[in-house]
Amino acid sequence: MRDVPRQITLQQWDQRYEQMQKARIAQPSYGGRLSRHVEDGDERLLKLRYDNSAAALRLWNFLLTEEDRLREARDRGKKIVGTMKDLGTVPVMAYSLDDVVAFYPDGAWWIPCVMELNAGLLSIADSLGIDESFCPVRAMLGAFLTGAHFPIPELLICSVGATCDDFSAIAQRLDGLGYPILWWEIPHRRQAEPGEESVRLPGGFSAPRCQVEFVKSQLQRVRKALEEFASQHLSDEKLSAGIRKANQVRRLLAQLRRLVFTARLCPMPALEMLIAEMLAIHFCSDRDETITVLRELLDEVKGRIKDGTGLLRDDAARIFWVNPVADLQVMNLLEDCGGRICGTEYLFTHALDAIPQDLPPMDALAQMALADPMVGSSADRASRICAEIRRFHAEAVVISRIPGASHCALEGQVIGEIVQAELDVPVLEIEVPSLTDSITQALRTRLEALVEAVRERRKK
Amino acid sequence: MSRRVPSLSKTIVYSCPYVPAEWIAAHGLQPSRIMPDPTRSSAPVGPVEGMCPYVRAFLNEAINDKQACGVIMTTVCDQMRRGFDVLVRRCEAASFLMNVPSTWQNFAAQNLYVDELRRLGRFLVRLGGKSPTPDGLAEVMLEYDAVRASIRASRAYLSARQYAESIAALGQEGPSLGGKSEIQNLKFEIAPRLPLAIIGGPLMWSDFDIYDVVEQSGGQIVLDATETGERGMCGPFDRRRVREDPLAELANAYFGGIQDASRRPNSELYRWLAHELAARAVRGIIFRRYVWCDTWHAELQRLKEWTDLPVLDIDVVGDTDTERRRWQNRIRAFLETLT
Repeated sequence: MRDVPRQITLQQWDQRYEQMQKARIAQPSYGGRLSRHVEDGDERLLKLRYDNSAAALRLWNFLLTEEDRLREARDRGKKIVGTMKDLGTVPVMAYSLDDVVAFYPDGAWWIPCVMELNAGLLSIADSLGIDESFCPVRAMLGAFLTGAHFPIPELLICSVGATCDDFSAIAQRLDGLGYPILWWEIPHRRQAEPGEESVRLPGGFSAPRCQVEFVKSQLQRVRKALEEFASQHLSDEKLSAGIRKANQVRRLLAQLRRLVFTARLCPMPALEMLIAEMLAIHFCSDRDETITVLRELLDEVKGRIKDGTGLLRDDAARIFWVNPVADLQVMNLLEDCGGRICGTEYLFTHALDAIPQDLPPMDALAQMALADPMVGSSADRASRICAEIRRFHAEAVVISRIPGASHCALEGQVIGEIVQAELDVPVLEIEVPSLTDSITQALRTRLEALVEAVRERRKK
Repeated sequence: MSRRVPSLSKTIVYSCPYVPAEWIAAHGLQPSRIMPDPTRSSAPVGPVEGMCPYVRAFLNEAINDKQACGVIMTTVCDQMRRGFDVLVRRCEAASFLMNVPSTWQNFAAQNLYVDELRRLGRFLVRLGGKSPTPDGLAEVMLEYDAVRASIRASRAYLSARQYAESIAALGQEGPSLGGKSEIQNLKFEIAPRLPLAIIGGPLMWSDFDIYDVVEQSGGQIVLDATETGERGMCGPFDRRRVREDPLAELANAYFGGIQDASRRPNSELYRWLAHELAARAVRGIIFRRYVWCDTWHAELQRLKEWTDLPVLDIDVVGDTDTERRRWQNRIRAFLETLT
């Protein structure tokens, strides 16, 4: 029999961990008390509420030990690639090579939140002229300069073109500071015009064949750079094997999302689901372990659904969430306000869709890269959001703006208009900075109003 | 200075320097580069937190423009790319988003630019344009080239404002209506002043006062490295290549010749600046940027670290008197410190 699902504090997790130790419940090598990460400076953890399952503990420990894992990989002679911006494509290629580890330095955007600004990364970015008018991903600059949050990769690969200006500008600043970058072009995805062959991409968008071929040529450049870097031939066979492995992760996540977003009672909280989804983009620097972590999480969710247990009220408002939050605590806040997540679009849905296995691998990867919701129009993105809202029966949408992000100024309006016109569901646009403590009440009021609106609509 | 004049032919409006006016003109359509003026347009697109004021002004100008039969935007900046999503929902004219690659060091990127010109050509044909013959394109290119050469040659005889207006007039009205005649008639007595450069994105009409303010304060813009200034003009064409393969030469001059902060890497911009700043004996730099323009904002500190010249940062949010007074005072103070 499973424990009754509930959300607990860090302190309660420590007590629970002691009980698990006494019960001799096996832990992975990176396991341990969650509170030890606070000693490393991750003070935001003190303010979050966590799922009480062993699977969730494993997920959190896996996430919070990534830096150790990267340093250990380097010590063991593995080569480290920093992949930037494309969120999901290049790591599939890198992990197809032996002894190569890839990660996104972009992930540093959460450090100001997790360390409650104590790492000083934003001050370093300020000193480099990248101030608060930029997205919190500017923390990445500080992380590079201090070298304190991840080992500096020997190779940096960044997609550019149809990407946000913040990231492109910050990456250029990094390049100018002496961290050379291999840039590859991702064009703005468009529809095929008369006379052009159209290709249906994973996830449902489409693009003309010539764009797929162009992206393929760009990824061939990346492939060559990876081969030179790793002193290995990256054969089609290796790439295909890498794609199959990535698809294992994606299938697990697809099951997890479907079960969690459609269950009568919420079987896994929003925060853990956000972290789980993030594993898809670079496997948290360990692809095999990602599969194990997700399997455990999926087993837990299946068990809870089978037992008819879950968290939150059974009448929780079903919310579709657009864009990741810079402050993780807001995921807890939504649930406090009476909502639950039933569908997400955290900017990397293309990393959740299965990569075609019936195509030559480079064609498949090119299609996947072009399926990135951020390289197309906001209308495209809205159409996918609408499809997912229908699929998961979401009752309202929250568009969470990322402060300073170039795409956020205009996309919310377009997405909101389309969603309202097509589905007639309430849409709320909020802005979530790295730390929301000073605006929690305002956010709470707005989220509560949205939940209330959903409940009122149910009566009609 | 006149604004865009009505033309008998169909007008295609655009804003980006990577859109070759020659290509539109060779299709028998009237290219007109929008120079937004936020003070005279109604504003179907209101101010939004985080939105670049230039993008907003461009969208309002394009949406309000009832003469234009087509609007071209590009992917050079993300806000413009996102702005296109708004344009297609609000604008009656046909619209086209041109992919301009950010990378430039590989043939595939250059070929993509040429392919996009061809796609733009098909769009123009759908709007009633005629696909140009190579000779027809070459002829238009040489006509533009001659006017650009004349504008460049006249730089020493024009005030910075007149020079900028000549470039703008060519973009807005084309070689037959544009600055040519005005250039011939203008004579400017240049008194010795402190040579300055202005660097940044595009200016709006209401911003052209900046040249006057600099002059009134004892300075002279000798290098206009704004997007609407000299930096946004493509270099001279190679006449032999124009005859052999005009489209390739057009792409080479525009895609290969215009240096911008959005390029990845943008090292060529700094190479170009190093050459021009030295050649014109520039003594100080006015760095003009729009608030929320990440591309240029990120270059400010880098530029300061890169150059020994003093750099004045002018950030603008739109067109308010208070803001205008602020930057006017800053320019005066900057020049006082330099002299």
